[in-house]
Amino acid sequence: MQHLIADRCQTPGMNDAELVNQVLNGNMNAFTFLVNRYQKLVVHITGRLIQRREELEDVCQDVFLKVYQNLGKYRNECKLSTWIATIAYNTSINYLRKFKKGGEVNSDDRAVFEKLADFKSDDYEKADLHRYIREQIEILPVHYRTVLTLYHLEEFSYQEIEQITGMPEGTVKNYLFRAKALLKEKLKFVINESSLKIVKEINNEK
Amino acid sequence: MKNEELDHIIEKSFRSEPDFHVSTDFTRKLIFLVTSREQWKTDLREYLFLTTVLILLLAVASGTYYLIDKDIVIRIFSFITQNTLSVAFIVFILNFILFADRVLLRLLFNRWNRTN
Repeated sequence: MQHLIADRCQTPGMNDAELVNQVLNGNMNAFTFLVNRYQKLVVHITGRLIQRREELEDVCQDVFLKVYQNLGKYRNECKLSTWIATIAYNTSINYLRKFKKGGEVNSDDRAVFEKLADFKSDDYEKADLHRYIREQIEILPVHYRTVLTLYHLEEFSYQEIEQITGMPEGTVKNYLFRAKALLKEKLKFVINESSLKIVKEINNEK
Repeated sequence: MKNEELDHIIEKSFRSEPDFHVSTDFTRKLIFLVTSREQWKTDLREYLFLTTVLILLLAVASGTYYLIDKDIVIRIFSFITQNTLSVAFIVFILNFILFADRVLLRLLFNRWNRTN
C-alpha cells in the first residue's frame, strides 16, 4: 500500500490538495515531491531577497520546515504556491531584519539610479545584456526585487502578490513600474539609437 | 521603436531565472532533518507518557496500600522525608536513564548519522 502511495506521489499530475493530504497523513514521499515541485519558487524568492548565496540553503530549509509544520493550517483558500511564497517572503524579510539588512529599502529612485552600474556601450557586442540587467535587478531595493520576481518570474497576479507581501495592489503596480522605469532610463542613457540594432541582434540570437 | 525594443529586452531579462541554486542533495538533507525532528517529538512524547504512567502507577499503589495498611505508607513517606536528598538523587538518576534511553541516545545517534 505504501509502495502504491509512493508511486502515486511521483505522478506529476497529482494536484496540490491530494499532495497536502498525503503529507498530512505522514507520507514523506509526498513531501519530497512537494519540495521538488516548489523548490525553484522558494529559491528564487529567497535568493532575490536575502542575496547571500552561502546562507540561501539554510533559509530555504527553514522555509520548507515551516511549510511542513504549518501544512495543517493550510485551508485551500489560496493556491498552495501562493501560501508557500508567503512563507518564503516572510522568512526572508525576517532574515533581513535580523541581520539589519532592511536599511537597503530605499525609496529614493535617484539614489538607486546612481547605484546602478553603467553598461559600457563599447563592450556590449561581446557582453551579455541580459546578464547586465539581471545584475542591476540585484542592486534594486528589496521591494522592487520582490515584486519583479513574483510578477515576472513566478507569474503571480497582482492580487496574489498583495496576499503574499501585504502590499496594496497599487503599491505593487507602482513598484513594478518604477523598477522597470529605472532600468529603462539607465539603458536609454547608455545605449544610443544606432547601437540598439546590435542589441536587438544579440537578443534574437538567444 | 527604441522604447518597445527596450521594453522587450528588459521584460525578457525579468523573466530569466536568477543565478541562485541550492545543492543537489538539498531535498535529501531536508527530508532527513524533517524526519529526525518528527522522530525527536515522538520520542519526547513517548518519554513523557511513560513518566506519567509511572507516576500514576506509584500514586495508585500508594493509595491502595494506604487503604490496606496505613502504616507502611506512613513509614515510606517518613523515610522519604528523612532522606530527601538521596531519594531525589535516585529518582533523578532513574528518570535520566529513562530519558537517555527514550530520547537522548536516539537524538545523538541521529545527529551522528547526519554528520557521517
